[in-house]
Amino acid sequence: MEARVVNKGQLPELLDKLAKDYDLIAPVQEETVVLFRKISGAADAFLEYTNSDVSPKGCFLPQNEKTFNYTYTGDSIEINKPEGAQKAVLFGARPCDIKAITTLDPVFEGEKFGDEYYSGKRENTVIIGLSCTKVLSTCFCYAFEGGPCDGTGSDLLFTEIGDKYYVEVNTEKGKALADAYSQIFSSQGAEQLAKDKEELAKKLAGEFVRKVDLTGVKELLDNNFELPYWNGDDQKKCLGCGTCTYVCPTCHCFDIFDYPTGDFTGARLRCWDSCMYPEYTLMAGGHNPRPTRKERVRNRFMHKLKYHLDRYNMVGCVGCGRCVRKCPVNIDITKIINDLKEVAQNA
Amino acid sequence: MLKRLLEYVGFEPGRFQARWISGSEGAKFTTTIKDMTEKIKSLGPNKKMRDDIV
Amino acid sequence: MMDVIQQLREQAKKLLEEKKVTLVIGFGQGTELARTTPVFIDSPEGVSALTWGPFCANNLAKYLTDYKNAEGNVAVVVKGCDARSVIRLLDDNQISRDKVVVIGVPCPGQLEWQKVAAEVKPGASLKETADNGESFSVKTDAGDYSFNKKDYMLHRCLVCENPNPVISDITIGKELPVKTYEERFAEVSELEQKSTEDKSAYWDKQFSRCLRCYACRNVCSVCTCQICVFDQMLPMWVSKRTNLSENTMFHITRAFHVAGRCVDCGECDRVCPMDIPLRKLNQKIHKDLGDLFDSPTPGSKPGIPSALGEFSPGDPEEFM
Repeated sequence: MEARVVNKGQLPELLDKLAKDYDLIAPVQEETVVLFRKISGAADAFLEYTNSDVSPKGCFLPQNEKTFNYTYTGDSIEINKPEGAQKAVLFGARPCDIKAITTLDPVFEGEKFGDEYYSGKRENTVIIGLSCTKVLSTCFCYAFEGGPCDGTGSDLLFTEIGDKYYVEVNTEKGKALADAYSQIFSSQGAEQLAKDKEELAKKLAGEFVRKVDLTGVKELLDNNFELPYWNGDDQKKCLGCGTCTYVCPTCHCFDIFDYPTGDFTGARLRCWDSCMYPEYTLMAGGHNPRPTRKERVRNRFMHKLKYHLDRYNMVGCVGCGRCVRKCPVNIDITKIINDLKEVAQNA
Repeated sequence: MLKRLLEYVGFEPGRFQARWISGSEGAKFTTTIKDMTEKIKSLGPNKKMRDDIV
Repeated sequence: MMDVIQQLREQAKKLLEEKKVTLVIGFGQGTELARTTPVFIDSPEGVSALTWGPFCANNLAKYLTDYKNAEGNVAVVVKGCDARSVIRLLDDNQISRDKVVVIGVPCPGQLEWQKVAAEVKPGASLKETADNGESFSVKTDAGDYSFNKKDYMLHRCLVCENPNPVISDITIGKELPVKTYEERFAEVSELEQKSTEDKSAYWDKQFSRCLRCYACRNVCSVCTCQICVFDQMLPMWVSKRTNLSENTMFHITRAFHVAGRCVDCGECDRVCPMDIPLRKLNQKIHKDLGDLFDSPTPGSKPGIPSALGEFSPGDPEEFM
């Protein structure tokens, strides 16, 4: 695997150049919140964060996506799709969020059905990840085969070491970008930094405080759809808001609807939706297979811990901890996992 | 109350008005609408909460 | 606060043993040192899960409507602000008085858990908390900490109107002094004085972050509509789009829908994942209710006529 070195002092220059040559999406701070936005230069980027409040999945699956405009011309319907994806760079995404994007790939780029809106963005975006330098009490990426310095899914991975960044070049796309800005991506000194990076990874691995053990959980869920556990407190305290699903980097449910702009014109939109809402599974005839919070809460965790694995052989959760931080009533997937493990053991 | 709330969120004063006019107060209705129309015209196009779909 | 916890557990156990209630809704230790989580206790043995302290920010009155048709009665642990919700729900006939046992706990304030977590050693367990007047002391197995109220309490607690629950069947803990504030609506006034453009820019900035997760709506104890206007698809009052227009529409509409019933518990503000200062919106309405109708905060006394639900000839008539 190839590697490069970038001086920390040269990062603003790199970001400014990238912002000129691409749509550069990076973390920004808006008051107390960190989210990903398109920026026009290094001055807007905010990198002193552990993790953002909303994940960067919006780069590929925007919360609001217009799929086309339509015009009814009397005897036919004219469809106008928006312009294709622009060349973009996503800078500063953490390893957990990048891993999450790879879990979205099989959903939107399946064998039988491809989503051109997602694929277009995915093909045209270079993902430059940024390793973590700190672990929050709510982090648990290690439980899902991830790590604070794991480059899986990134085209380039920056790891801050002293006054330099150690840059792993993970794909051809990444290499092409590093070569294009070779005056900033140096080839010298990478070997020593590689060792420093490993030490950092080891140090961070020891900082996790949440103990999450998935042993037996999948098997338990595979064999038991009905569990008395789901009648417990979680479904009683859940408010049914969409916070967990909207901040989650692996959630991908959406609603498609037409929005008229006149008698004969309009647009079709694809917007994020949440399985925690009661009307999410409401059928046209009035039937709702998930009529109460119990079914919806159970569904959420079954999806994260089982269904996604079943369908795509990939984890459904990356351990970013946002749901744990943001849930108004402290529903905690790590507690649920550990509870289920106990249920499995006592069975 | 709604008028105050709208102004608090940034609508120009005068853009939203509420009047109680009974069916038999035709003249009051006319003057109110005329005044309101002039007021709105002087305020120009509304910039808040526009439908921005293209 | 240990004695409050002990009494809480004793009283809850008694209620359950004597079958006066079939459920006690209270606060239990959360998965972070500085958090609690709602617990639903239906057996006397389960009361050991109950706790109390400066990490009990949730308004548990929210859950009362879930049990209005349940068998047996329900007891709920409420702070001062939560008790206002209880009164509001009772006045709205959302639940009948004889079904609810209110366990009121005078509250000296609640801390912002994220601020506390940033100072405490990660992974530490909570041992004890105590109210020291100007600060809270938090004892953990990794050291003792002190958090001064001015800097670490929830914003809403800094102008707390009702530290003592205004309705309570069983009160646990000492009554607390009630403070009055000259500038209760200082932030609202400050915003009111800005120009239209500045006000617009301020709220545009806030609302453009909104995810429309509806956490604010779902946590609101007086948002009790069976079918919310924002969930209706025919007609689609708001779509699932999160552009500035629709977000603004949502927030203004919701603030107005709860106007006159909102008890200023501040939960909407607390739960927003995007830190939108929602209380500033609802507080504007409270200020106007006071100015126009001389109405106190809804729920701050039992039986206050709802300012927007009742008419009196003395009401202002600017629109005539």
